[in-house]
Amino acid sequence: MIELTNSVSDGVAVIHCTGRLNMKAAPHLKKRVDAIVAEGLPRIVVDLTGVPFVDSSGLGALIGGLKTARLAGGDLRIACAGDQILAVPALTNLDRILRPHATIEDARGEW
Amino acid sequence: MNGERYTLSGLAVPEGLDSLHDLLARASRDHQSLPPEDVMMLEMAVMEIAGNVIEHGKPSGAVVWNFTLDVGPPLHATLADSGEEYVETWTGQMPDELAESGRGLALADAVLDQLLYERQGATNVWTMVRSVDTKS
Repeated sequence: MIELTNSVSDGVAVIHCTGRLNMKAAPHLKKRVDAIVAEGLPRIVVDLTGVPFVDSSGLGALIGGLKTARLAGGDLRIACAGDQILAVPALTNLDRILRPHATIEDARGEW
Repeated sequence: MNGERYTLSGLAVPEGLDSLHDLLARASRDHQSLPPEDVMMLEMAVMEIAGNVIEHGKPSGAVVWNFTLDVGPPLHATLADSGEEYVETWTGQMPDELAESGRGLALADAVLDQLLYERQGATNVWTMVRSVDTKS
């Protein structure tokens, strides 16, 4: 099962994920994003350092979280994705809206 | 590569996905000449098809699957399940970019050289073929 831990600094929430982001894990990630946005933190970076594999359900959770964050005036960005994860948005034409960032700092950008 | 076959049977439930990951990892370890990218692409397809069986297979939670991997080359996998006939229509198109579901089969198709569904008697059979880059 995936493990999710959060940290917050300068108004940006970072969710650190460990484990496969698949159909078992996807609802947990989506729920976590919803909770963080509900706390008034719509700027979210999902740290995928510890995620060896993502499937279309995991991708769906990231898209769902991105929509929730954007509706609240923020955004969701992904960082530190491995080769397999980098392949998925490219294969599904989603790399434009779910642009991968090499590091958490890169993902934070101007936030 | 010597054409070795790997098999696995079990219930089509989310916990079964881990067993499929483990089997593919074992095949990859046993056959280090297999390019990791090709195994990774096949793994993506297998997980999408397996996820589809878990999600749509009826009766839910009671469907049994049998997975077979021939390392080939090419990599040739079949997932046969005891569920009712798969009747979803599949266009092969990716859904809208903000859709949260509906990409599984399109993603599987994108990473395979061949993706085939057949109803064989009382069994659904998904065949997945990924050619292997033997140049490297």
